Amino acid sequence: MTETQILIESTLQAIAAGILIGAIYGLMCVGLAMIFGIMRVINFAQGDFMMIGMYAAFFALTLLGLPSFLGPVVGPYVAVLLAAPLLYGFGWLIHRTLIRRVTGIETADLEGEGHYAQLILTLGIALILQNGAMILFGAELISIRTPLSSDAIFVGPFLDGLAVFLNKARLVSACISVVIIVALWWVIKSTTLGKSLRAAADNPEAAIYMGIDVDRSHRTAFALGTAITATAGGLLATNYPFHPFVGLEYVIIMYAGVVLGGIGSVIGAFWGGMAIGLVQQLSTIILPTQLQNATIFVFFLLIVILRPQGFFGRNVERT
Amino acid sequence: MLEIRNLSAGYSEIAVLHDLSVGVEAGQFVSIVGPNGAGKSTLFKTISGTVKPMGGEILFEGENLMKLAPAARPHLGIAHVPEGRQVFSSLTVLENLEMGAITEAGKKNWAQTLEQIYSWLPVLEDRAGQFAGTLSGGEQQMVAIGRGLASSPKLLMLDEPSMGLAPAIADFVFDKLMEIRKDAGLTILLVEQRVAEALQVADKGYVLETGRVVLEGDGETLKADDRVRQAYLGM
Repeated sequence: MTETQILIESTLQAIAAGILIGAIYGLMCVGLAMIFGIMRVINFAQGDFMMIGMYAAFFALTLLGLPSFLGPVVGPYVAVLLAAPLLYGFGWLIHRTLIRRVTGIETADLEGEGHYAQLILTLGIALILQNGAMILFGAELISIRTPLSSDAIFVGPFLDGLAVFLNKARLVSACISVVIIVALWWVIKSTTLGKSLRAAADNPEAAIYMGIDVDRSHRTAFALGTAITATAGGLLATNYPFHPFVGLEYVIIMYAGVVLGGIGSVIGAFWGGMAIGLVQQLSTIILPTQLQNATIFVFFLLIVILRPQGFFGRNVERT
Repeated sequence: MLEIRNLSAGYSEIAVLHDLSVGVEAGQFVSIVGPNGAGKSTLFKTISGTVKPMGGEILFEGENLMKLAPAARPHLGIAHVPEGRQVFSSLTVLENLEMGAITEAGKKNWAQTLEQIYSWLPVLEDRAGQFAGTLSGGEQQMVAIGRGLASSPKLLMLDEPSMGLAPAIADFVFDKLMEIRKDAGLTILLVEQRVAEALQVADKGYVLETGRVVLEGDGETLKADDRVRQAYLGM
């Protein structure tokens, strides 16, 4: 193989890997987009909700003994999907007991719409979750392994012997992510539930005049956002080991993705996450791996300078 | 239909409404006029539940509204078209109307109501797919009114529909309201600073000053009242 061919092959390989990881990042970002983008709640604990989701999937897998009757391939994915309703309940409870006090109609008239209180509160929740998980689960790295994690599909050879391989576990995770996002997009776009969530976020006071229970709408969106990010975490864990502080690495990616995509746009958040996945993987061709997260932020800054409203951002005045 | 007795309400510890009584009979057009800061919008917000009452009663068809959560009240048949329009700016015009139709009655009559709303306010049909936030003030006011009508209300409460509109547009909105009222036989409670127009069409009027009813009577009588003529009509 010539030098050029190697470069082409590694670029194609990075793009393929970037799309797969990007789809999972996209799902993660969509979860935050529900909470931060749509509901305008600053949630620093989003990464730690994801971490809880990872452990929930892990324990669903091991405690229920799923692999023994569903097999080692299907079992882990069922565990991940089982963790989603659990985390929905978790998000619901966190909102009911804590978040509602600093959001919604109660704080609409306050300076900064209650953002200061949200910042401190969710930072506190994040610390409690991280250290609580440390006490309960310990610091060792665990992962949700499937036989697919170390198996790949080869695409090729094409164009004089070029070939690209796709990790099977990531491929399945990416496909599940896309299916969830399409379903969610449809719910938000076309169902009465989705429209009333958007209305409650857009103008809580007017939503009340329509007869929408705004507090309940916010809680639904918060719980949904928690469950979605947690699912993304579980899907990621089939390939990446995790620990109680894993949330910190990803919460930044999530915020970057949501802002890149355009605040308020759920589909935008998905493409934001996708862009981050691609940039991260492509950067490894020319830069050392340690710099891949730095590359994400250089890219992020560029986009924010060139297109401050994000890919899908609209300049619609919020009343 | 709507019976407000000795109502006091306000923000935190400061009362804005004092011992206020207002009644609306089914089929009536009732106007409440008064200067800025008289508490007109606060009255509406108290009826809808976004401002908490301090005393008194609000009965709607005999039911005590104060015992109901704010979001439950529209389902009884009360549509509140708020001050400053407050459309859902990131939703399309059609989606705005659909949000109005979230009430039980609104859902049931949706197909019919939508057709009717479009015939009254054809501009909404032209703009159906556009984000409400991109419309002009007058058009947004139509969206807000259409959204209120979409709930198939028994009582339509309009808070200063002419606010911030050019006089010609405000006249147009007023004419539309008259037309809708004639066609649909709606009960309407209107708060307005355009005193002459508001009293002209009203079966009954109230003049509100610093949170108290200072005058009440049928529209014509109020319009002829010396104090109203001097203070509001500039005569």
